[in-house]
Amino acid sequence: MKWLMKRGWMYGAMALISAFALFPVYWVVITSLKPRSEIYTRTPDLWPSDPQWSQYPRVLGEGHVGRALLNSLIVASGTMVICLIVGALAAYALARWRVRITHILLMLVLMTQMFPLVVLVIPLFVTMRKAGLLGTYWSLIITYLAFCVPLAIWVMRGFIMSIPEELEYAARIDGATRFGAMVRVVLPLAAPGLATTAVLAFLEGWKEFLLALTFINSEDRKTVPLVLQSFVGRGDTDWGAVMATSVLYTLPVALVFVLARKHLMTARTAGGVKG
Amino acid sequence: MSTAPAAVSAGRASESAPRPPAAVIARRWVARLTMPVLLLLPAMVIIVGLIGYPLVRTVYLSFTDTGLGELIYGGSTWVGLDNFKEVFSDEHLRASLVNTVVFGTLCVIGTMVFGFATALLLNQRLRGNWFFAIAVLLPWAVPAIAASAIFKWLFDSRYGFVNWALVELGFSGFQDYAWFAGRVSAYVAIFITVVWQSFPFVALSLLAGLQTIPKETLHAAAVDGAGPWNRFRLVTLPLLRPIVAVLVVFSTIWDFKIFDQIYVMAAGVPDRAADTAAVAAYREGFALSHYGLGSAVAVVLFLILLVFSLLYVRLIGREGSA
Repeated sequence: MKWLMKRGWMYGAMALISAFALFPVYWVVITSLKPRSEIYTRTPDLWPSDPQWSQYPRVLGEGHVGRALLNSLIVASGTMVICLIVGALAAYALARWRVRITHILLMLVLMTQMFPLVVLVIPLFVTMRKAGLLGTYWSLIITYLAFCVPLAIWVMRGFIMSIPEELEYAARIDGATRFGAMVRVVLPLAAPGLATTAVLAFLEGWKEFLLALTFINSEDRKTVPLVLQSFVGRGDTDWGAVMATSVLYTLPVALVFVLARKHLMTARTAGGVKG
Repeated sequence: MSTAPAAVSAGRASESAPRPPAAVIARRWVARLTMPVLLLLPAMVIIVGLIGYPLVRTVYLSFTDTGLGELIYGGSTWVGLDNFKEVFSDEHLRASLVNTVVFGTLCVIGTMVFGFATALLLNQRLRGNWFFAIAVLLPWAVPAIAASAIFKWLFDSRYGFVNWALVELGFSGFQDYAWFAGRVSAYVAIFITVVWQSFPFVALSLLAGLQTIPKETLHAAAVDGAGPWNRFRLVTLPLLRPIVAVLVVFSTIWDFKIFDQIYVMAAGVPDRAADTAAVAAYREGFALSHYGLGSAVAVVLFLILLVFSLLYVRLIGREGSA
């Protein structure tokens, strides 16, 4: 009884917060499984009486969602690969050559994380238009690099600094060039850092909305956030389709988060980046 | 931790005796700097080209009357501070700045309070803690646009869950209540969305901080007669101050530049009364083709955020985590 008095309210609070965190996700999933008649009702059921998957093939087939998922995948993967290469090189340089300018560069890197994108978007739009890249994957990949590369540098520099330089000396005494030692000795050891960076860069590309909204002008190049936004913006929103799309869009991210949460936490606190 | 640059330390000692001629020194410097410069070059090109140049360009645009034609073909005229005067005199733009500051601050407070409560609970290690930890993590994984869509559905006036639940609970005034028809009610819905998305990060960061506090310290305080509230206020809070400071500055930056949620959820609010500065700047530029004026709004937002960014960089620097 005393236990209940002391701890009971904590369990109550825990249940409430869990419900607040989980309920919206639960509601999306079951809405996506409900037939139309159960979605558009004044008295929603907390459990679908007849769960069915038909929304999913429908949105994948018709509503450009399948295409959009592919577009998002291409853009996010492209961003990830280029960001890893460029970021690893720069991070290595900043970790190993500790000159005074390093400090300034790191501050710059941190500052870039604070930028409201809306400050950059007009000139970027003009540049992309002049380069004839508007509406292409490249317009997104290139601009996403602007905020992925600083983040990648910041995260990977920490990892590389934790690798003893003596290992490189050993490799170089054995005849490796400095670049060879970096590629064959340092980067494999920094694999957890590379993986964390890869995930972060991919997520940036997967989630970004503002630049995609600005650069993409054709239906068949739209990424998922654009499709979702155009669904929601209409008067007669097809909520079943929106919810199914949201599930498909969120599922990969949620999996990664649950699996890699420790790594992401440290990286995000260090890099100072959120959602 | 040696501070000496480790570039070519290998072959150096052997040739130290006589002072080498200037040409050799110069060549050595070039050799020494080639690799770091080459390694840094791609990243520098990206940062300067995609952040530095656009930033300068936006600041320039904010002093001109650039419209769509001038934006593409050039030839805009310098108008001095006119755009900035308009930002502060135009009712809608001024309101968007006020919205940003007021709504942003409320979101920061909500996120911090809720995040702190969650972190303290997580730190109790109650039974079922693992489930709680994953439940709390999940909202963070939902992309902003998906979260906006989800909450727009939850707050739907006719078929939304929230109105149904409120009516069931006896608040019959919420029958068909249109959350997105007014500024304040729309902000209530968006506030819940933002807090839902950002409290996990704050909670998990604070939890990491809480776990570094030695149990002995809290025990000692308890022995000295401090109750739970005093232990929290006099021991836990001061020890967590650095993390709390970083999180507050950081949430402020994030909530002040908020775009996605507002763009999607506040789109239907009459007179666009719920626009924040980021959305107003974007619309002024891309929807109304007032690129000069839009840039001015963006620059004002940037200056506000710059203050917080500098604060953040100072806090990080002081902790020496670099």
